[in-house]
Formats: sequence, structure tokens, C-alpha cells
Amino acid sequence: MSTAVKLDTMPSEDIFNYAQKAMLNNPFENFKIENYKYAQLHKSITSNSSLEDFKPDFSSINSFKNLKLTDSTNVDLLGDLNKWNYNNSDSYFRVNSISERSSKKIDLDLYEDEIIYLDLSIFKENIQILKDTELSKTLIINNSNFSDDCPRSIILNLSENAQLNVIHYNISNSKSFLYFEINQQDNSNVKFLSFQSNNVHTRNEFFASLEENCSLDLYGLNIHNYGVNDNYSFIQHMKPSSQSREVFKSILKKGAITNFQGKIYVDSVAQKTDGYQMSRSLILDNESKANNKPELEIYADDVKCSHGSTVSKLNQDQVYYFKSRGINEEQAIKILQKAFLVETLEVIENTQIKEYSYSILDSRL
Amino acid sequence: MLKINNLHVSIDGKQIIKGLSLSINKGEVHALMGPNGSGKSTLSYVLSGKEGYEIDEGTIEYNGKNLLDLDVDERANAGLFLAFQYPMEIPGVQTSFFLKTAINSKRKFLGMPEIDALEFAKLIKSHAEDLGIGSEMLKRDLNVNYSGGEKKKQEILQMSILKPDMAILDETDSGLDIDALRIVSEGVNKLRSEQNSFLVITHYQRLLNYIKPDFVHIIADGKIVKSGDFSLALELEEKGYESISKTA
Repeated sequence: MSTAVKLDTMPSEDIFNYAQKAMLNNPFENFKIENYKYAQLHKSITSNSSLEDFKPDFSSINSFKNLKLTDSTNVDLLGDLNKWNYNNSDSYFRVNSISERSSKKIDLDLYEDEIIYLDLSIFKENIQILKDTELSKTLIINNSNFSDDCPRSIILNLSENAQLNVIHYNISNSKSFLYFEINQQDNSNVKFLSFQSNNVHTRNEFFASLEENCSLDLYGLNIHNYGVNDNYSFIQHMKPSSQSREVFKSILKKGAITNFQGKIYVDSVAQKTDGYQMSRSLILDNESKANNKPELEIYADDVKCSHGSTVSKLNQDQVYYFKSRGINEEQAIKILQKAFLVETLEVIENTQIKEYSYSILDSRL
Repeated sequence: MLKINNLHVSIDGKQIIKGLSLSINKGEVHALMGPNGSGKSTLSYVLSGKEGYEIDEGTIEYNGKNLLDLDVDERANAGLFLAFQYPMEIPGVQTSFFLKTAINSKRKFLGMPEIDALEFAKLIKSHAEDLGIGSEMLKRDLNVNYSGGEKKKQEILQMSILKPDMAILDETDSGLDIDALRIVSEGVNKLRSEQNSFLVITHYQRLLNYIKPDFVHIIADGKIVKSGDFSLALELEEKGYESISKTA
């Protein structure tokens, strides 16, 4: 039956302003704001933003729409989605109005077994989603194959006991700047994967607020981006007994830069918090860079919080081991890259979406 | 099959192997024994083609080809196998996936199609059972959290399914308890035939009680100082490396 998820009105003006101001306003030019120190947003977000400066190599990946699911049924994810007739009252999505970053209301009717799919090239608004049932749901946020030099916010509000599995595809963008806010009420559970590849300049912000006994798995998979790929997270434990597990993994080549800055904040009442944060980067050349800045801010005294960060090159002894068994170097390197990232894709609950994501990853190795 | 002639090898300018010659014919099992630091493991790495070793002088011929011209994976596909003293841990790669990829690499080299799932399952099952490797272990990441004995068994499993012409066992007995030693030795003995050869590198005569060598060589300071039959291993066990090296 319908209405497992309902989409509320636009986010409040305050939040929208926050995201936009934070990303747009000065003083980015002098890099003085700590949270944006390495994001180099001034290069992309200007009043006269031009794509001329960026020449991404898109030839190696088909458009998102053409990639096929790899399972035996060979379902084309987008083929199915095409059946979802936008602007049709019988469709799963009913859009009253689409206008450039307007404040119009969007309504969604959704069915229990369906995957919710938000294509940000169609939904131009800032979006707020309210998830108020225990039913496990998959939400796909597709923010691929376009250039968007205006920051945009997506707010996920989870009621008590609600569950949500989010897969954010952030693939082949010239520019994209997203602000995610995840508000979790008691006993809610979110598993979130942000799959980032082949982008030229991206900034993703993840602000999460957890109440009692919640869990949040926030994973980032970042492979072969160009330019600057920047992730910022701020996870607030506001009530006792919540868990957060955050893992960002990046593979870099061709002089790419990845930034990860993440903070776990534990309020003084949030006893028994279990927070974990790990960012790991694998660098395949001598030019790429990984900047990691893990942070903890803890005001409660009975908590478990840890963070870690690694930057490494490919282990040549592992490559040698593969080769000593007859596996050629190219294949060995592909397998080792995949092995490095595989943990992140396991967050996806839907089998078909998981296989589909594996196939995208395979095409990017 | 394998002809090493006057081999000189150095690492970072330091000479490790200093004029080593050794010939191994088809169907022969040779044991190479020697004290720590004598160059045993270096020889095994050089034979497999690991980077970082400078060949200063000498030749290695394998089945009539210049082995030194071949890259590591080419040597493996040409039938050379090194069972490592310290097998690498590969997190994120399931053991069975690794085995399948290795088999398919060899099949591709031989112009054969990829192995089908059923055939692969059968092949693995039969060899794994012989070595006391359970199906649970094949699902785990390769060598990750394996015990020392499990790692060595995994090496022998790989050898069994890849069926090399020339296998080098680098201190396969180190870290094995008596039972594991017997199981591993049986795995090696099963593969022994007139078609393939072994170079068994070890510190101890104990392993050679299980894998009877045709020839025993003693290596000291980068070259072979004495060769003989199995009785040399017994003599070595009795008198120690030092006295044998002196008499040589």
C-alpha cells in the first residue's frame, strides 16, 4: 500500500540559507573557514561560474542511464524508472511543480516495495523527506551527469523507529554541491552510502543528529574523481545510547585531491554513545593528495568513540603475490582496488541495487 | 628443466648470492638446506621474479627459455610455483575467488575457456579435503586471520590446483605442528610425478623424512658448498652447518 514515505514541504528558509550561505559566501577566497579549508569552492562557485575550466573525461563511463543491472534478469534500472511517469497522478512520483529552486511543495505517493528514486536533474528543488514508518525502504538519490553550481539541500527526517537505506550516486558531475541533513528520532536506523566517481569538483556535507538508541552507518566510496572531491561530516549524538559508524574510502589517481573532514559530537547527556569514524585513502600515483581531518568533541564521560585515518599506496607485495599465481598486474590491481572498497557497498540492502552498484564500480576500476 | 649457472645476486648493492649453480631435471626432488642468511629465500624470490633483486652475473634457464626474461605472472603461467614462507594476507578478497582467478589465468594462458562453477567446486573440494581445509575457510578473506599452519596449507592447496611443473617450497615446514607437517607433505607427495620437479628449501631434516629428496644441497654464504643424496641431510642434522661448510 501507499504512503510509506511522505515528502514534506520545502526545508525552512533558515536551513536552505545555511547551506547556500556556507558554500557561497566569502571568505572562501582566503580559505579561512576551517570547514572549507581545502574544498577550493571559490574555483567553482562564483557569480560567473564557467565550465570552461573543467574538462572531465567522460568517455570511460556511459551515462548513468545506460548502465545495466548485472543479475540474470538483466534489468535496466532506468528502464524500470522510465515507467514511473512524472507528472502523472498514477505514478509513484507526483510532482505538482518543478521550477528552478522554487519553494513549491512536492508530494510523493510511494508503495511499500518500491525503491524511491530522486533524480536531482529533474527535481530542482531543495528536498525534505519525512520517513515515518518502520518499513525498510531504499532511497536512491541520483545526482549524476550534470553540472550544478548552486548548492542544494536534502533533508531526511526520520520519525521514531523509522528505517532508511540511502544510496547517493554522485557520478560524472562537473560540479555538484550538496548539503545533506539527517535528523533521526528515537530508535531510527539509517544506512547511507555516497558513491562518488568521475566528478570534477564536488562538495558533500553530511549533518546528522541522533536521538536515543539510533544507529547511523554513513559510508563514502570515492573512486577516480578529478580535481577536488570534498566530504564534510558532522554527526551529533544528542541523546543516550546511539551508534554511528562512518567509513570513507577513496582511491585516487591522475593528481586528484580528496578531502575528508568529519566530526563526532557527543552531547553531555548522550551517555553510552558508540561512535566510530574511519577515512582511508589509496593513492595510485605520485601526484594525488588526500587530506584527512578527523575530529571528536565529547562532553559525556561514558562513551566509546574512535577515529582513524590512513593514506597509503598500493601494496606491491600483494600485487607480487597475485602475479606469482599467474594473475597479471592489471587484473591484480583491479581486484585489490575493489577489495579496498568492497566494505562500503555492503551497506546497500537491496540485492539488485547492490549488484548494480558493483557493476558501476567494476566499470570504474 | 631448471638450470642455474654461476648466479650472482645483490640487493641494494649487497651481494647475497655469490656464484650459485644448480641443475634440476624433470621428476627430481632437490632439497636446499642452509643456515639463516645463506641466501635460500633470496634464491626463491629471484626464481619467482620478485622485484628488487639485481642479477649481477649468471643465467637461469627454464625449459630451454631464459627465465630472467619473463615477468612474475609469465613465470607462473609457464609452470613455476613458489610456496611462500610468509604468504601475503589479502583483505577483501575471498579465498575461493582468488583460487578461481588464478585457475582462470592459467586456463587463459593455455587458450582454454574459464572454468565452470561446478567443475571449480569439485576441484577445490577434493583438494581442500585432502589438506583438511574446510569450506568455511574458502569463504574467508585470503590468509587473513589464518593460523601459520592454515597459511601453509593454503599455499599447498594453490599448488595442488595449479599443478606446476616446477615447485619451490620456501621453508614450508616452518611454523607447522607435526600433524600439519604430515598433511602438507602428503599434499606435496601427491603431486610428485615424473613430469614435475621440486626444490624444497628447509632448515631441518625433519621435512625430508616426509618428502624424500633425490638430492640434497647445502648452501652457505651465497653458494652451494656441498651436494649429495639424502644421507647428507642426516649428516647435517648430526654435525651442524658449521662443520659441514668447513669440510666442503
